[in-house]
This record gives sequence, C-alpha cells and structure tokens, in this order.
Amino acid sequence: MLAIDFGAQDVVVITGRLDAAQCPAAQSFLDKVQGTVTLDCGGLEYISSAGLGVLLKTQKRLLAAGGKLRLAGVNRHLQDIFQYSGFDQIFEIEPAR
Amino acid sequence: MSEERAFARTFDSLQEIFEFTAGYFARHGVDPRIQATVDFAVEELFTNMVKYGATAEPGSRVRIALEAVEGGVEVALTDIGVEPFDMTKAPDANVDLPVEQRRPGGLGLHLIRRLVDSWDYEYSPERRESRITFKKTLAGTPAPGNASSTGEA
Repeated sequence: MLAIDFGAQDVVVITGRLDAAQCPAAQSFLDKVQGTVTLDCGGLEYISSAGLGVLLKTQKRLLAAGGKLRLAGVNRHLQDIFQYSGFDQIFEIEPAR
Repeated sequence: MSEERAFARTFDSLQEIFEFTAGYFARHGVDPRIQATVDFAVEELFTNMVKYGATAEPGSRVRIALEAVEGGVEVALTDIGVEPFDMTKAPDANVDLPVEQRRPGGLGLHLIRRLVDSWDYEYSPERRESRITFKKTLAGTPAPGNASSTGEA
C-alpha cells in the first residue's frame, strides 16, 4: 500500500509501494504541490515505471513554474532505477544515509 | 519447485501478485534482496499484457510461474488468446533527453533489460499464447552505469 502526505517543514513524505495501481492517488496529491518541494523517499520501498511517470509529470510542471521536485532518502534499489532512467540528470537526488 | 497462479487482467491484481511473489520468496528461501527487482519486472510485463491484451478472450487470466534457481529465481508470464508482441525487442527509451523533452512512459521494458540477468519471448500461433520468461540472481545484478542508454523513447 501507499501513503503520501505532508510531513515536517512542508516535506512531502511518501511511504510504501508506488505501483501502477497506486499512481492515481500519488498523482492526485502531487498535482496540488507548488514551488520547490522535497519528496522524502526514505519509506518508499518500491517504484515501477508508472510511478516514475508520476514523478516526471510533477517535475515538468514544477520546473515550468520556476520550482522543482527534490528526491531525498533514496535507497539503493531506487537509485539504480533512477540512474537507468536518466532521472539523476533531471532530479536532485539525495541518497539515504 | 515451481508455483503458478493465474491473475485477472486488471491493475487491481498487482497487490495479489506481490503477495504471491513475497510468499514464494519466503517459502523457498529466495534472497529477499532481489525481490524489488523481480516485482518490478513482473509488474511491467503484467501491466503491458493488461494494456495490450485487448484481443484476449474475455475473462482470461495471465498466468505467473516462479521457480527458485541457484542464487535467484526464474519467472514466466503466460497470456493466452493474444497477438504476438515480443517485449524483449522493444526499443530503449532515450534517457538522455532534456527534461522538457521527456515524456512519461516507455521506461518499463528499458529498465527490465538492465535489471534482470536474461529474458526471452516465445509465441505459439496454435494456442495464440505469449510466454515471456526472465531470470534474476543476486550475482547477476548489474552495476549501475554499465548499461547504455541509447535509442528512442
């Protein structure tokens, strides 16, 4: 399952699994954020290509308005996926500590 | 020992599919470090079958079989009553485009090619059956950065 909501300091916290069935809920939430937004991925266990599409769509909208989406707390599995997708070139990515 | 289950042709089956893979990993001692990658490949192949299986017989299901092998697992997805579609031949996405030219989509098969050890496609015209198999082992995990990223999205 997936949960997405605001955490401390306006960071958006996403936890669980972002698969194709969960994407509408994630997209609906991210469609409402504005400016420069940090997405805390520390609890994001899994992402599929449908989830990558949600992140890309959000990044394109925010960049066009002068903001951006930053990805924080990214685990090794997600780092591999982001790198092979070229997302390391279009997102600021902060690995999990 | 292999196990096989059949799943309804809808994205809503994903939860049930992930429960099947997690259960199989636990029952057969498959290394949990490869589970996210196996789930990724299964989801991408399954959702492609859902999206492009419009000609499939109404009510038909996609069969997913798992078999533990040395250091990992082999997976087969079988779809009956469909036209041939060799996903292993799908072109790579161009991941070097600037963000304004990137479009959502086209990454699933591009990523599978880089994340699994091997994959193969067979089609039986008699049964109109598509069968795609892949193997994933921990030892075969590719190092990020070694894969090329050319081709069209």
